[in-house]
Amino acid sequence: MSELLSPEILMSIMVAAMGGATVILFAALGELVTERAGIWNMGVEGTMLVGCLVAYLVMAGTGSPILASIAAIGAGMVAGLIIGFMTVTLRVDHFVTGLGFNLLASGLTLFWFRSYVGGGKPPSYSTIDTVPIPGLADIPILGQILFNQHLLTYIALLSVPVIAVFLRRTTFGLETRAAGENPQFLEAKGLSVATRQYAALLFGSALTGLGGAFLMLAFADQFRPDISGGRGWLAIVAVIAGNWKPLRTMAAVLIFAILDSLAVHAQGVGVDVPYQFFLMLPYVASIGLLILIRSRSGQPAKLGVPYLRH
Amino acid sequence: MIEITRRQTVGYRARIVAYLLALVMGFACTSLLIWLSGASVMEGFSALFEGAFGSEEAMLQSLVAATPLIFTGLATVIAYRAEIWSIGQEGQMFAGAMSGYFASLYLGGAPMVVAVPVIILAAMIGGALLGMLCGWLKSRFAVNEIISTVMLNYVIVYFLSYLLAGGPWTAEGSTSYHQTALLADNFRLPLIVSDVKLHIGFLLAILATVLCWGILKFTPFGFEIRALGANPTALRFKGVNVARTILIVMAVSGALSALAGVSEIFGVNYRLKGDVLTGLGFTGIIVGMIGGLNPFGALIAALLFGALENGSLYMSVLSDIPPALVPAMQGILLLFFLSASVIVRYRVRIRRASYV
Repeated sequence: MSELLSPEILMSIMVAAMGGATVILFAALGELVTERAGIWNMGVEGTMLVGCLVAYLVMAGTGSPILASIAAIGAGMVAGLIIGFMTVTLRVDHFVTGLGFNLLASGLTLFWFRSYVGGGKPPSYSTIDTVPIPGLADIPILGQILFNQHLLTYIALLSVPVIAVFLRRTTFGLETRAAGENPQFLEAKGLSVATRQYAALLFGSALTGLGGAFLMLAFADQFRPDISGGRGWLAIVAVIAGNWKPLRTMAAVLIFAILDSLAVHAQGVGVDVPYQFFLMLPYVASIGLLILIRSRSGQPAKLGVPYLRH
Repeated sequence: MIEITRRQTVGYRARIVAYLLALVMGFACTSLLIWLSGASVMEGFSALFEGAFGSEEAMLQSLVAATPLIFTGLATVIAYRAEIWSIGQEGQMFAGAMSGYFASLYLGGAPMVVAVPVIILAAMIGGALLGMLCGWLKSRFAVNEIISTVMLNYVIVYFLSYLLAGGPWTAEGSTSYHQTALLADNFRLPLIVSDVKLHIGFLLAILATVLCWGILKFTPFGFEIRALGANPTALRFKGVNVARTILIVMAVSGALSALAGVSEIFGVNYRLKGDVLTGLGFTGIIVGMIGGLNPFGALIAALLFGALENGSLYMSVLSDIPPALVPAMQGILLLFFLSASVIVRYRVRIRRASYV
């Protein structure tokens, strides 16, 4: 155990955790906006998985991480559109829709991947490099953790205040929240609830797809089935444990990411506790967080309630 | 203007038409998928169906493949009727197989008539306990059951991985296979048709289907399950202990899932390993939902999906289409069925606006 607590390993755990947090943070912020608009989207895991596969295919085909990220965003939006059609237009139960979509995504990505690979070996590529911020990256300890990361990590961290301000201070943010709190009010003002819910889903799913792309580009050199490994679900837990507030959601995401990073390092360092027990940590912690943090005051009043126009 | 109203009741005819339409759309989309992957649609489907129904042996083999799906499908029906959205069938199935194996370690040379029932019982207890844990988290701490079941699925799979990858249950000399040693003969489920390994698990599955149907339809507990889904507040006012009902529902659902693990491990593979179980719980969710959350509907869906699962191996040999087509197809069918089951509940009328 003590090997894990040496300064170098702790440092390495934190640096890797920021990368891991990026994946979950994108999805969690996306889900936060979606849920504030009243859609309880349980299809995050599937959306991320689709983002992963599409990013992998484009990266393997073109070698361009930018194209891969854009494609994954597009794929995420298609996923959001399907989920939106079912929840907003058809008014299928939100939970059922999400569960169904995850199963669809799991099957589709598996088939797509297998028929792409055929009998051969799946192509791989080298993962993307970090972009140190000149000057700041030289600060001891914090510099390595915060300013020697991937470009998308900076973007994810900056998205937290941006989304907080968007939700609180802009008209469209207010309207998005109204769709989740009091849709009749929006309707009375002559504004469409469906439009805002679709917009939130498209935005949220795009972010989730981008998170999937980052997982592929920064951590894996090739796709494997169900590579998202529950990160989409952890994003949903982060939103609930964060009481639907951006900053707290990020805090929950960081807890999961640090535990995840700890598990990876435990395998590398060779601790006497079997590594599988470390791998369980984020999942156990997610249940623990939900038991400990019981406040649901930030939950939108009409979250998960299909809106029927009058 | 276009007016959309909810129908009070949906006729059988409307429902059958909607479901048939969903089936057709599902197959059309699957064909598109095969075509996009560059393989021949006709060859693919004909190989799939030949592998599933082509001979008496193929059909019996399809029943073997359907057996665990019937159990996980029923587990879904029981939980979802109560609107408890558990997706823990996968983990509970693993827990069941593991508890059954754990029991077998202490059964030594016990005769089969003793050993098999004990294994089945132990498995059901294991699955039920895992299910109840999520039920308890839900009623005591308001932890959403979707989340607790998903997370525990991961936990249990990692735990099995520990046991089999060098842990205490690993077969000697085969660490890299991640499996236990072969089970002794007295632990194996008796076979009905020995050539294809059709075991008594299939009969148990049919029995379980009838029991679930009877419980849901005729017993006070069945009423509580349905009422919990429809109106938990009313149930509470009626004096029913809702927390207790949730626990029992999750226990029954977990025990049913566990039986899926028993049939695969003790009926077909004769050794405990993770990858032969992977996905059977999730497919059970599709089975239960496509079956309209009705035990007999789930049975029919499980038989269909078991056949597809069985045919997919044959298809992958005869054509370039990977067996993964089947899970993709199941997902597609599910979304169409979900849409159809909702659309059929609405009546769309076009009429002139009468107020203005």
